[in-house]
Amino acid sequence: MAVCSAYTIQSLNSTKTHLGFHQKQVILYTPTKKQSTITCSVSDKTVVIGLAADSGCGKSTFMRRLTSVFGGAAEPPRGGNPDSNTLISDTTTVICLDDYHSLDRTGRKEKGVTALDPKSNDFDLMYVQVKALKEGVAVEKPIYNHVTGLLDPPELIKPPKILVIEGLHPMYDARVRDLLDFSIYLDISNEVKFAWKIQRDMAERGHSLESIKASIEARKPDFDAYIDPQKQYADAVMEVLPTQLIPGDNEGKVLRVKLIMKEGMKYFSPVYLFDEGSTITWIPCGRKLTCSYPGIKFSYGPDTYYSHEVSVLEMDGQFDRLDELIYVESHLSNISTKFYGEVTQQMLKHADFPGSNNGTGLFQTIIGLKIRDLYEQLIASKAATPLQATKA
Amino acid sequence: MASLITASLIQTRSGSVDGLKASGGWMGKEKAKVVGVKAATTMGGGGGGRGGAKYKGTQMREKKLTKMIEEKVKEAKQVCEGDERSDECKVAWDEVEEVSQAKAHLRLKLLHKQDPLESFCQDNPDTDECLIYED
Repeated sequence: MAVCSAYTIQSLNSTKTHLGFHQKQVILYTPTKKQSTITCSVSDKTVVIGLAADSGCGKSTFMRRLTSVFGGAAEPPRGGNPDSNTLISDTTTVICLDDYHSLDRTGRKEKGVTALDPKSNDFDLMYVQVKALKEGVAVEKPIYNHVTGLLDPPELIKPPKILVIEGLHPMYDARVRDLLDFSIYLDISNEVKFAWKIQRDMAERGHSLESIKASIEARKPDFDAYIDPQKQYADAVMEVLPTQLIPGDNEGKVLRVKLIMKEGMKYFSPVYLFDEGSTITWIPCGRKLTCSYPGIKFSYGPDTYYSHEVSVLEMDGQFDRLDELIYVESHLSNISTKFYGEVTQQMLKHADFPGSNNGTGLFQTIIGLKIRDLYEQLIASKAATPLQATKA
Repeated sequence: MASLITASLIQTRSGSVDGLKASGGWMGKEKAKVVGVKAATTMGGGGGGRGGAKYKGTQMREKKLTKMIEEKVKEAKQVCEGDERSDECKVAWDEVEEVSQAKAHLRLKLLHKQDPLESFCQDNPDTDECLIYED
């Protein structure tokens, strides 16, 4: 978003059009007969979103859906370190918080700390850089190389419209927390985590059920001590649990997904079913809609979460057909779509992503739309305050 | 998911229905049984033609990560024999998780034909890393 004012200045002796980034300004130098230049000031602030997840950075499905809602695919920075964890699209930059490791793999081994331990992360640097980006200043951010386990030379990150910081500790440090305009915590239950890691790692020669289990168990104490408590600060928590529709199911195929949304936020109104603030259980399958086993079950209602008011929307089961998805979408309220069927369209666009037929995909998509809505509201409120016109 | 997939709004990278057929949600691959089977599947489904490394540098990274997983699992088992609750044991399994994640991410990228060296190799086609790897 930019507000541009035209000024007449001396033309530069140049045959090319230059685009320069200088802090908050985009300056266009073009030799024209009129000798005029357009100076644009980008919005004073970048919108910052925090995403806490234990699945590595920037490649998670949540990120891909989120960047897709804003348009365009997020790609690694061109021409830079091929092991960069950063993703950049037209509107969004996604930063991996592993880049703020203060200890590389060797260092962590020497000191006996895991990557989950705050001691292996430089929160001062994280704070300084996120703050700078939020204020429209580019930063040279370190790169943590997951292949070599080393800290590589930094890469230049320019302030985007939307900055997403993703990783294990986006809400750990209070100063960083205060910079976040919206935060999400992805809470995967132990059974589902186990099932997903089996799916992920069983193809690897080195792994077996035992090693996958041992890895989860060994990391659990640090996870519970340092990562899990961040839940209480999140504006939205997405909890992924095994289904209750199939007795004794432990394969993690059918999922029960809960979207726990904070109440009372200025630019975020929780999604609801039928009647806001009431308690609803809804099984859409019946006369108008035929579903295949195990079907779909929704519930919605108010609750308290870590002593603040929340609304909880829950989906158990799977979508099997397009019309089920449309039907469900048409009964949800406050989903911040710009047109009827937008959620369905987004889901179809990425039908190959994991979770496209269940609550994870649905809620991730809805959160993406709500973040878009939050972004637009924030920008509109800032546009209400006059921007300073600056001379080139 | 078949009818969902054939809806006209869908665009897929591979352009094939095959790629989507088995991608119904997380556990789209019915053949991914848990016990005792090394599933030849990868995250996110995708049936038609497994993605492979395009450049030599990526192929080497793949091999390196595979080897590291094996080594670090072995190492973790050894380290934890003494005391399962020791810091060394935690760190050892954390390393296993880190490299497993890295490998999985690489696999996913390759499945979507996004070789991480793509832009580097377009700018530096003559480096050793950028030799095109023919499967």
